[in-house]
Amino acid sequence: MNETTLIGLFVAVIEFGTLLYLAALGETIAEKSGVLNLGVEGMMAMGGVTAFWAGVETGNPWVGLLVAAVAGALVASVHGLVAVVLGGDQVVSGLALTILGLGLAAFLGEDLVQERARAKFGSLNLGPLNDIPWAGEILFDQTAVPWLALALGVATWFVFTRTRVGLILRAVGESAAAADSSGTSVVKTRMIAVMIGGALAGMSGAYLTLSLAPGWSEGTTAGRGWIALALVIFGAWKPGRVGLGALLFGGLLALEPRLQTFGVEISPILLSMLPYVLTVGVLVLLSVRSRNRPSVAPAAIGLAYRREER
Amino acid sequence: MTSASVELTNIWKRFPGGVTANAGANLRVEPGTVHAVLGENGAGKTTLMNVLAGVYRPEEGTVSLDGVPQSFASPAAAIAAGVVMVHQEFRLIPSFTVTENVALGESPRLLVRNSLEQQVGDLAERFGLHTEPGKQVWQLSMGERQRVEILKALWRDARVLILDEPTAVLTPQEATELGRIVAAMAADGRSIIFISHKLDEVTEFCDEATVLRGGATVAASLPVAELDKSRLAELMVGEATEVSIRRTRTTDVGDPLLEIRDLSMRDVHGVVTVDDVSLSVAAGEIVGIAGVAGNGQRPLADAIAGLAPIESGSIAVRDLDITPASPQARVDAGLAYVPEDRLGVGLAPRLNVIENAILRSYKSLTKGPFIDADAAEQMCEVLVDDYNVKVGQLDAPMAGLSGGNLQRLLVGRELAGRPSVVVAAQPTRGLDVQGVAAIQDILVEQSRTGTGVLLISEDLDELLALSDRLLVMHEGRVVAEFDPDAVTRAQVGEAMAGAVE
Amino acid sequence: MRLRLERRDRPLRGGQVRAFVVGVLIAFAVGAVLLVLSGHNPFEVYQKMLDSSFGSWRGLSTTLTQAVPLGLAGLAVAVAGSMGLWNIGAEGQIVAGAIGAAWVARLGPDLAGPLLIPLMLIAAVAAGGVYALGPALARSRLGVNEIITTLMLNEVAIRIVRYLQNGPWKDPTANNFPVTPELPAQAALPDLFERSNIGLLIAAAVILGFGVYTARSAWGYELRVAGSSADAARYAGISLKAKIFTVLVLSGAIAGLAGGIELTGSSSRLVEGVGGGYGYAGIIVAALALMRPSGVAAVAVAFGAVQVGGLAIQTTGVPASIANTLQALILFGALAAGVFGNYRVVRTAAAAPAGATA
Repeated sequence: MNETTLIGLFVAVIEFGTLLYLAALGETIAEKSGVLNLGVEGMMAMGGVTAFWAGVETGNPWVGLLVAAVAGALVASVHGLVAVVLGGDQVVSGLALTILGLGLAAFLGEDLVQERARAKFGSLNLGPLNDIPWAGEILFDQTAVPWLALALGVATWFVFTRTRVGLILRAVGESAAAADSSGTSVVKTRMIAVMIGGALAGMSGAYLTLSLAPGWSEGTTAGRGWIALALVIFGAWKPGRVGLGALLFGGLLALEPRLQTFGVEISPILLSMLPYVLTVGVLVLLSVRSRNRPSVAPAAIGLAYRREER
Repeated sequence: MTSASVELTNIWKRFPGGVTANAGANLRVEPGTVHAVLGENGAGKTTLMNVLAGVYRPEEGTVSLDGVPQSFASPAAAIAAGVVMVHQEFRLIPSFTVTENVALGESPRLLVRNSLEQQVGDLAERFGLHTEPGKQVWQLSMGERQRVEILKALWRDARVLILDEPTAVLTPQEATELGRIVAAMAADGRSIIFISHKLDEVTEFCDEATVLRGGATVAASLPVAELDKSRLAELMVGEATEVSIRRTRTTDVGDPLLEIRDLSMRDVHGVVTVDDVSLSVAAGEIVGIAGVAGNGQRPLADAIAGLAPIESGSIAVRDLDITPASPQARVDAGLAYVPEDRLGVGLAPRLNVIENAILRSYKSLTKGPFIDADAAEQMCEVLVDDYNVKVGQLDAPMAGLSGGNLQRLLVGRELAGRPSVVVAAQPTRGLDVQGVAAIQDILVEQSRTGTGVLLISEDLDELLALSDRLLVMHEGRVVAEFDPDAVTRAQVGEAMAGAVE
Repeated sequence: MRLRLERRDRPLRGGQVRAFVVGVLIAFAVGAVLLVLSGHNPFEVYQKMLDSSFGSWRGLSTTLTQAVPLGLAGLAVAVAGSMGLWNIGAEGQIVAGAIGAAWVARLGPDLAGPLLIPLMLIAAVAAGGVYALGPALARSRLGVNEIITTLMLNEVAIRIVRYLQNGPWKDPTANNFPVTPELPAQAALPDLFERSNIGLLIAAAVILGFGVYTARSAWGYELRVAGSSADAARYAGISLKAKIFTVLVLSGAIAGLAGGIELTGSSSRLVEGVGGGYGYAGIIVAALALMRPSGVAAVAVAFGAVQVGGLAIQTTGVPASIANTLQALILFGALAAGVFGNYRVVRTAAAAPAGATA
């Protein structure tokens, strides 16, 4: 194994980590507000297809990213309308959102399959920083998107722990009745959280079709949305831990096609099961641990809220 | 002319299902006073306060603050106007700290933990509220949690503070402390509305009292200092129902049917809830258990029914040890249980009336793997007739029935199996006057047939009227036993407060 | 004036049927907009969908065949759902069932059809049940949320097939293509009429049987009690842990049967995509049917028709993905409409102060 393949691996870890982190961060925000959105895969697909279309039309990847965020938020608002405003079941609505997003993306992207990618994120050019051995190539020869994801992660952590808005968001996810009686609007807060979640999932899809695997084809999200969902639990709903988990799961995705190069005799397919298996393990551990104290998961997750009218 | 800080005029509130909770209720509260809103369970006190706090919208009537008419669309609007309600079930977030709960939604945009905790601590000190601002709420006692709720209201600078039966969850010491806090807040110029049905508290803590009955105001703004307690009680219950049944005590008690020895229990947090309790109930006897809510009555009842794990001790019905038995085996052994939570434990809300009627006996109604639908319906009809349950259709969901009818069906079903022992937890709570009388009659009648009854209640009058022997629980222990004919309310109250050796 | 939802005294009678109809109408209206925007005539497209799915015996047989895995997956979800549990893992359990059936075919490729097929289906049922064991144990013993565990195992199941076709079960005669070998010819389910096979009868019998059994039996009664209130179930002497465990395993077994029928009825070999999204669609089917077996059958046929119609219109240049889009839209429309079966909109005359929200 030589230096180039190793550097290639680390670059890929960051790329896959970014892909997963954007979506998982969005889902963390939604779930922290008490809304489980199983539609990540669908929102990612919608983000991917709209970003690619906008990239083809304008040639500018940033426009693509923006369009994807808007598209993701709009798709998520369907879930918000049904599950938050009308109080429908979050599980069913979220799964339907996945089916809707995947179906709609495939429908809209029918003519885009043959298109060549015109817009791609370029590498950052930070001059001397790029010349640092290892770090230069791994960290600074990237596009700006991983850094954007990092910044969003830090911002989310800051908002969650240090601001009034974050306190309200978490309160809505812990006990809607408590938040309501404190004079905050449960529905509005949750709706915004769900739409931000959708925007981030859309951006994740954009990163996929404009940078990681430029182009559009049906099924290009390949179950990454489910990994993002797993990641939220794996990271115990904490932006920082979710980020570390994204690097770990991203690492597994990056290793998959490289195992043989490294001379490891394990099937890469078995490796690809690990994120899911690990998440189940973490879930079991969390539930054993939280026997005598409040659970780590947002307490009101999955519960619709309607102010009690006897 | 002085302006009243709160004025509710001619409030009407009806709920789907035909229940009229408020029928022309009035209330006027002066600034800087503690005002009691008195009434029996179901008199419409809580509903009226929910109207004031913006939770419910009345069909008729006006709410005004300082003479200005208000129309609160939500609790948020009421809070913004300075009206805050502390509900009976606390609306706190267990995983948040005291400070986070207090400052929720009402803080600077950026939170600086230390300075915020300092401010919350300062505010608490100003009103003599003992609290630890950095502690998470799930670690706090009920009394501490209530102080957090009050702190939340003060943090929002509530001018009108509504406390809904605040002492129900408190120890006597905590209740006394609450009285001090309330006085401090009133001295600060705030109005405190104190909902209660306990006369002692009212005379101790309040300046004025308004009495509700049947959803309407029967006496407004009576000065407490000049009050005659018995007159107040009369206003609360109305004249016709003033005479509660005073049953003739059972003189010849039969064999012990229920025997509990050295029973101890802990809750999920490892806190002792029932501490070395021994008691017995004999044939034809009604044994009452009094106590402030949360002193182990509920876990005790659940343990007898087999719904909660015990730590040590034994439970026997007719000399048969049922300590390890399943709930069903206990029923077979002759135990009936009327649980505190009617809808949710005793009855399944989404199932229909028939399905609920057979909850305890469906196994005996089977033909092969199937339930005999005709037999089930027949059984349900008998129950509905015998216990005078008013139902529309037998296949309608249970949740549509009124409280009194729910309880009649539940009690009837439990007694249908001709049990040796009935454990009834809060069997009349929340029922209307006829409902209460009906359930009490049923229990008394049942004891005449030789059944032993263990009656757990928070209604001291009910206990004094029905019991042959009265036990008092405090902090999980049985601290006293009284002869109901030879005891005063005050003596029982002292025991409930733990003021006996 | 503001609008606000108020709970009805009792749910609207037939509300769910109405909601479903409204859902279908909304879905096809939105679908029509999409079709117009992409340059198609929606009336022609819908006409063709209807013709291809119900317009002929051949179409009907295809629709019903398509409804088999949807109905069984829907039943699997509904059985768990009537107790308030979510089996999101039907997709993975279908795959597990197919793996189990394929394994029997590998062990006894020379067995006669009448022996081989039942064995394959039994193995499918067992494999589906076994695949649900983990989530069932975790939920009943430790209280671990079954939604996420079952969901995660879906992705694992797909990768198990991928692993098998790349490794242990790789077909040596397939020019190094990563596929499993073709199933023996006698492993195919016998035909029924046109393009349907007897899998349709099996599924119909299972759904009907369960419908009757859960409605009438003491077992089904206990399920409903537990679904209505866990405390009431304990009070009635029903062992919740045991019930949760058996229901989740049973749910997995039913989904496994769907996988077995799918493999023996519609495929020639075990492939990664054997689940076909039926497991996820089954959740929508069950939700639309309010977890009732009778409703499951009806909704499954309707969804089968949409899928068959979706495939048929591909020839006219409309992407088949319109079918999935329509299914999801039906659900959203019905979920939204269903709310109005339990709630009604009332106007509140009072003007809301600024900043207030309902």
